Amino acid sequence: MTKYLARRLAFAVFLVIAVSSASLVLARLAPGDFVTASQGGQMSREAMERARAQYGLNKSLGAQYVDWIVAAAHLDFGQSLLYDRPVRDLIPERAANTAILALTAIVLATLVGLPLGVISGSRRGGAVVGAIRSASLVLLSMPPLLTSLFLVFLAARSGWLPVAGMRSAQLPAGGALLDLIRHLVVPAAAIGLPLAAMLERVQAQAMREVVDQPFVLATLARGVPRARVVWRDALKPALRPVASVYGLIIGTLLSGSFAVEVITAWPGLGNLMLNALRARDVYLVAGCAGAGAMFLAIGTLVSDLALGLVDPRGRA
Amino acid sequence: MTRLTRKLALCFVCAAAVAALTAGCGSKPASEGGATSAPSIPVTRGGELLASIRTDPQTFNRYTQRDSSTLLVATLTQAPLVRLNRVTQEIEPWLAEKWSVSDHGQTFTLTLRRDVVFSDGHPFTADDVLFSFAAAYDDRTGGPLTDALKVAGKKLEVKATDPHTVVIRFPVPFAPGLRILDNLPILPRHTLEAAFNAGTFAKAWSTSTPPADLAGLGPFVLAEYTSGQRLVFTRNPRYFRRAPDGGPLPYLDRVTLDIIPDASAELLRLESGQLDSLTSEISSEAYAPIKRAADAGTVKLLDLGVSYNADALWFNLKPGALGNDPRAAWLQRDELRRAISMAVDRKVYADTVFLGAGVPVYGPETPANTEWFWNGPVTPYDPAGAKLFLTELGLEDRNHDGILEDKSGRPARFTVLTQKGRPNLERGAKVISDELKKVGLQVDVVTLDAGAIYAAVISAHYDAVFFNTDKTDSDPAINPDYWLSSGSAHFWNLEQKTPATEWERQLDALMAKQSASADHAERKRLYDEMQKIFAQHLPMLYFAAPRIYVAHSTRMTNLTPSVWRPQLLWSPDTIAVTSTARKN
Repeated sequence: MTKYLARRLAFAVFLVIAVSSASLVLARLAPGDFVTASQGGQMSREAMERARAQYGLNKSLGAQYVDWIVAAAHLDFGQSLLYDRPVRDLIPERAANTAILALTAIVLATLVGLPLGVISGSRRGGAVVGAIRSASLVLLSMPPLLTSLFLVFLAARSGWLPVAGMRSAQLPAGGALLDLIRHLVVPAAAIGLPLAAMLERVQAQAMREVVDQPFVLATLARGVPRARVVWRDALKPALRPVASVYGLIIGTLLSGSFAVEVITAWPGLGNLMLNALRARDVYLVAGCAGAGAMFLAIGTLVSDLALGLVDPRGRA
Repeated sequence: MTRLTRKLALCFVCAAAVAALTAGCGSKPASEGGATSAPSIPVTRGGELLASIRTDPQTFNRYTQRDSSTLLVATLTQAPLVRLNRVTQEIEPWLAEKWSVSDHGQTFTLTLRRDVVFSDGHPFTADDVLFSFAAAYDDRTGGPLTDALKVAGKKLEVKATDPHTVVIRFPVPFAPGLRILDNLPILPRHTLEAAFNAGTFAKAWSTSTPPADLAGLGPFVLAEYTSGQRLVFTRNPRYFRRAPDGGPLPYLDRVTLDIIPDASAELLRLESGQLDSLTSEISSEAYAPIKRAADAGTVKLLDLGVSYNADALWFNLKPGALGNDPRAAWLQRDELRRAISMAVDRKVYADTVFLGAGVPVYGPETPANTEWFWNGPVTPYDPAGAKLFLTELGLEDRNHDGILEDKSGRPARFTVLTQKGRPNLERGAKVISDELKKVGLQVDVVTLDAGAIYAAVISAHYDAVFFNTDKTDSDPAINPDYWLSSGSAHFWNLEQKTPATEWERQLDALMAKQSASADHAERKRLYDEMQKIFAQHLPMLYFAAPRIYVAHSTRMTNLTPSVWRPQLLWSPDTIAVTSTARKN
């Protein structure tokens, strides 16, 4: 187990370095730079050259990369050109917000998707199963971007929930936690509901296969109530395929959350990365991409460990 | 007094003041800078205004960046020596209570207000003005103000004769005079001098600076900044301006700017009463839902008139930039641009791009700029005439496939770069492409980010660009870089050492004259002449300008909306809100 963890950790480090390096190089290779993006049309060429030298953008790509990677080895990921703050300071505060949103979404998806999958997979038809399947298909066919636009529209029209942001300008009655939860509903639902639909489909399929197994039929034949058989005996083996898709879900979760963050003004990594890309802030782009890769590595590791818990055959 | 009559009265006062100024020896009395004109309805003091911005400010140091969020923070927290009134387009006394002009309009002696202190309690003096100029002109600052505060490429000479008198000498006669200083917020020497002396002024007041370390002369002070979420400003109790009733300004206790990157979410928040104001105009697509909300009484929708700015199409006119490209024979010729101007139906353009809320435009000034607009002959929509010009260039449909070819049979085809993610530009480029296809020109539209477009323009590696080149002032002398062949905004052929064409040489000479003339009528005549030369050669093609609409909550009162950005928040000290509660 220790070897396995060490191997996965080494892979995570490699993934973060590779992704952030590639992001820095690609952002730098694209035409234009931070100075042309922020000061184009307002400064003489001479003044732009001075600004470029000030930001270290006049160096060759190789020299810039070497400087960056050496500093990164000392956990200095450069200074954001856009915010004039160390990338090391900017990323954690935004990553924490993204983590709050992503965790809430995945909990929501799990709490909604798995039980509905068990219900629709353990029954042979009927109105309830039909309704669950239809809702799943609708949600699966809608990307998080559209779901978030719809939910934002719904929140605005109904006035029940805040439309955007993470916290109210002035703390409302009920305290900070309740305020955060109210703001979380729209973005977490926008990300979580399509994932819940995906989990429901996978769980239903797995459950259908398990309920036809001889041990389930035998238990039912002994007179054990159906609900007890389904929720106690059939659920655990039916969780194996679901646990294996959590790695995939975490990847979707991250890319989906980036779009949702922009629509719902959630101050996470997605917003930060979008601003960094627009402004051609190469160091911040690399930092955001690296943080995204780290999320992915941690997520897949957790997913693999969860899979190992429900299916010990997977541990290697 | 109605809003209209109030504006007219203000215009009259300002016009009279400018007339005295241009006489060369006027002395500006203390007036508008110290107290505002009386509002037409009783104003409620206190309350919070909640507005939105799209991105975080890049810095709290206005001298180093010019993004809209940074500018808005400066508008709220800092103050200039004189202010450009965005409605009347005239300058008003601000930190300088009066001034006199001498030396044939080249020297201005400014008397500073004596009762002014920074938000941290430190007195404001001429030393702060000298420091601000020194910081703005320092090459290490590296911001847009360094060039913007130069006249004829030279710095202004600034000296203090006593703690409350500053003498500013322009290197050459400059008609707009102190108007150029509207850009320059006066910064506190006592907090920033150490950074300046250490050569780190450009890094000072980054967004990680604790709000308590910032000091300003503006109506508000930054109280809280949460990256990616919001900025909270509270009223500056030491602000120098007074209300007409003698009470303190600003009226508001608090201004909060929520950071909302998405336009749809921003509009929905406004419609649902969770926001008081946007910081810029609403887009053409948003007009219909906002109009419905206005009709339902949930928001107020204002039509501020035609914009001063229009998007422009220009070709790469740098001699030799196309190298051995055989298209150089026609791509850089005046006839091509005339043909394009005739081939595009501006009515169709305005209807398609601005969904009907636009007016045709034929030159760099739109009809909004009544002071400087040249009412010359307009280019008719005439595809047949356009084809004649193209034939003159040797472009004909030789193989009858609907696309023109040059004499060697190569298709008449070029690429237009435009900015991605900007619906007006993308729709505009599509309309131009479709209209030109009708006369046989094939246009490939390529969308890029703004930085990449500027990089292409600076390196002169492009065929044509369709982009926004917004002016920041209605006075042409404030935008010399656009007109002068040596200018950094002379987009079609940047920063020429000597004018590449005779007509650009003429424009340079006329610009120098009109910028220096103290006679407004003479300036107008010279600028008309410049616009006439421009219309003959069409280095940039304009098609339509949008009408500017803004929306705000029904809580906001005492507004003085301007067509310039930020339309509602440019004068934040006089904005008020009613006591009606806003939803959270």
